[in-house]
Amino acid sequence: MHRGTASGLEARSATEKMTAQEVRLCGLLLQEHFGEVVEKVGRNLLKSGTQNLRAIVHETGLSVDLVKKCLCVLLQHGACSFIQGRKGPGSPTEYRAHCDRLLRILRYPRYIYTAKALYGETGEIIIEELLQRGHMTMSSTVKTVADRLTQSMEEGSSMDYGEVSTIFSKLVETHFLQRCPPAAGATGGSQTAALTPAAPASSAAPTPESFPDCYTVPQVKLIGRGKRPLASEDGEDQRNAKRAKMDPETHGDEGIYWQVNFERFHQHFRDQTIISAVANKLDQTSGEIVRTMLRMSEVTTSSTASCTKPLSANEIFRSLPATSNIPRHILDQYLTLLVDDPMEFVGKAGESGGGMFIVNLNRALANLARATLESIVQERFGSRSARIFRLLLRKRHLEQKQVEDFAMIPAKEAKDMLYTLLSQNLVQLQEIPKTPDFAPSRTFYLYTVNQLPTARLLLQNCYKTVANLMERRLFEAKESKRLLEKSQRIEAILASLQASGAEPEQLTEVEEMITAPEKQQLDSLRLHVNKLDSAENQVDETIFLLESYISSATKSTS
Amino acid sequence: MQARAMKLKPLPFRTEHGARRGDARSASPISRSISASSARFCSQWPLIGRVRFCLRSSSMAGRGRGRRAYGSDSCISRGEGLPPGLQQPTPVFPVMEQKPLPLAGGEEAEYLLALKQDFRGAMKTLPFFIKPAAAQRDVQRYSDKYHSGEQTNSLMDWNLGWRRFPRELQVHLRRRVREVPALSTADSSAPVQKKKKKKKKEEEEVLLKLETLEKKEEHEHSSDEEEGGGVKKKPEEEEGAEAEEEYDEEEFEEETDYIMSYFDNGEEFGGDSDDNMDEAIY
Repeated sequence: MHRGTASGLEARSATEKMTAQEVRLCGLLLQEHFGEVVEKVGRNLLKSGTQNLRAIVHETGLSVDLVKKCLCVLLQHGACSFIQGRKGPGSPTEYRAHCDRLLRILRYPRYIYTAKALYGETGEIIIEELLQRGHMTMSSTVKTVADRLTQSMEEGSSMDYGEVSTIFSKLVETHFLQRCPPAAGATGGSQTAALTPAAPASSAAPTPESFPDCYTVPQVKLIGRGKRPLASEDGEDQRNAKRAKMDPETHGDEGIYWQVNFERFHQHFRDQTIISAVANKLDQTSGEIVRTMLRMSEVTTSSTASCTKPLSANEIFRSLPATSNIPRHILDQYLTLLVDDPMEFVGKAGESGGGMFIVNLNRALANLARATLESIVQERFGSRSARIFRLLLRKRHLEQKQVEDFAMIPAKEAKDMLYTLLSQNLVQLQEIPKTPDFAPSRTFYLYTVNQLPTARLLLQNCYKTVANLMERRLFEAKESKRLLEKSQRIEAILASLQASGAEPEQLTEVEEMITAPEKQQLDSLRLHVNKLDSAENQVDETIFLLESYISSATKSTS
Repeated sequence: MQARAMKLKPLPFRTEHGARRGDARSASPISRSISASSARFCSQWPLIGRVRFCLRSSSMAGRGRGRRAYGSDSCISRGEGLPPGLQQPTPVFPVMEQKPLPLAGGEEAEYLLALKQDFRGAMKTLPFFIKPAAAQRDVQRYSDKYHSGEQTNSLMDWNLGWRRFPRELQVHLRRRVREVPALSTADSSAPVQKKKKKKKKEEEEVLLKLETLEKKEEHEHSSDEEEGGGVKKKPEEEEGAEAEEEYDEEEFEEETDYIMSYFDNGEEFGGDSDDNMDEAIY
């Protein structure tokens, strides 16, 4: 049985092919986070779809142990899932990699930052630990997080397990964390008693949300405080660490593993984007109103809904935050304004209760994606080409002459721009013959832009961009590898000197081991690497928007 | 013929256009006439398709020069020259007419950047980061025997919740299960201390096999039971998973008379400077 694949915004059928750009990007991400060995195995799985262990060993040429370890790592992080007995009982276990799950790695910093904004440092560390480890039980999470927080606190104080557990429960309540669905095919033994028995192996993959206990916090007794690591020598430390692992403290929640619920985070990002778009287009107050509406619909709207449930103006008025003193008639005016806005974020669904209003999620995503496409064309080809592009988006099919007239651009330049856009595949040419022999003088040639295919194209471009940025960053780091190692060694010496209380002259002596031009080189290298990293983060924002749009558009038509 | 065969494009347009007829009608009169004419032709499409194939070769002369999509555009008058064709691949880094926008700065971007780099660094230290086998040294060194043991592969020590994994990957559980009955009668401290961390390299395997044979001889003297060599060999030759035991690294290190840093050959300078403060630091 499959481990639950993501539903909702990221529906990807099992048979869908991965594009070359996606495979390349996933390979780079695997290499950076899990090492080259896992990258080999992952790439093999991505390219060849479902495979069993023997085939992977054969194709990658690695040893069986290594391949097993890699598969464990991938399974642990949800990047891979296994099917048993697909071709009947006794057939070998087959593994499949999930490309979209691997691409989420790009967005990890954003998840951690959101958790920090919503739940403070504790929430941030919880999400970070869970992302690093794939999935964990609640007790081990709480312990690890408490230890980490204790390290960063001053001497003498430590973090209580209870506080961490509270934040953990809050995260589960708001659905940011969810239980991992049980892998029923794994052992055939008894699963955790709390979860319902798994359905017989069917073709549909059970999502985590199909299990009723998905968001139930187990009753766990966790009493204690975070431990500070002993400041002893390495050997002793390892011995203690090993001993700590040895005594198995069971807290009553063995077998209940938690993972980060990416869907919920994506919903949150989508809401944030809509609110900021409204605030940018109109003003802060309308942003506040839309934020209230979305907050009220958080629990009632499923992740796949195209718009929120209708909310009456009375309800909205009651739920407005107390700090914003918006009188009732102003609220009504704002709502009318929002409904009339061409971006169609808010729609009116009825007249009862002072007017029933909904937030058009799909429409909003489509409009935001369109704005993104237009801005991409504007930045790459200039504002006049962007004008042509926008024209074609709105008017669907236009002839060359009409394009020139509507866009108010002289004929020669319009022709050039159109051909440039055509060569980049942003604009398509549609022929309508008047006569069956397609004679050019008797055929209509219409230019057209389709939003969905263009969005897909630009999404692939984004993947390629991120992959290029990563490769460049790795290249830069490799070029200056020797210098980087030297600087790391110097820092280690400095740190140890300072810890053992050396004199300033020795410190300066060590510092001078790096010459000035080398320092300059290091600084510029750091600047480049930071820029490339930051650029990856920002491209990922575009990727998120385009992905959300594409999945919402394909969902509504399917 | 091949190039012509690809021009079946209008077919999707037919269904599309049927859906959009409402829009087209509301647009300019020109598009209205297009819709009318195309509607006429679309209905006769299946017949026309076949006729078109025959007529193609004959009307090839009337087509316009150059590539089909380009030269057939009715707007290029005959007198105009087409731009010269490309003779070589496009440059790898073409000159950009429009420079890209600067990156967004600000607190949030910097914090995200820091988070990202920290995460990458943390992942490298976790046991999930499987390091490839270390590069071959040019010459086999004596210290390799002791260095090889230092690289811990603690993935197997990590409590991974093995029940969720398929049977064939559950190396950890199976190993312990198999070892327990075989060694239940033996000296508890004896067997499992060797083979801490098995390297995957073949030479290391040989060296370590010799080592373990040595240790086996030692332990066989101490324990009363005689364990079949096969039983012990098998867990050794198995996947190098490590069951948890009362492993003590110092005890392993006591195999030699030197501390482990004795075997450092000066290539990782800098970690030991806290030991020898009286030495001059160059």
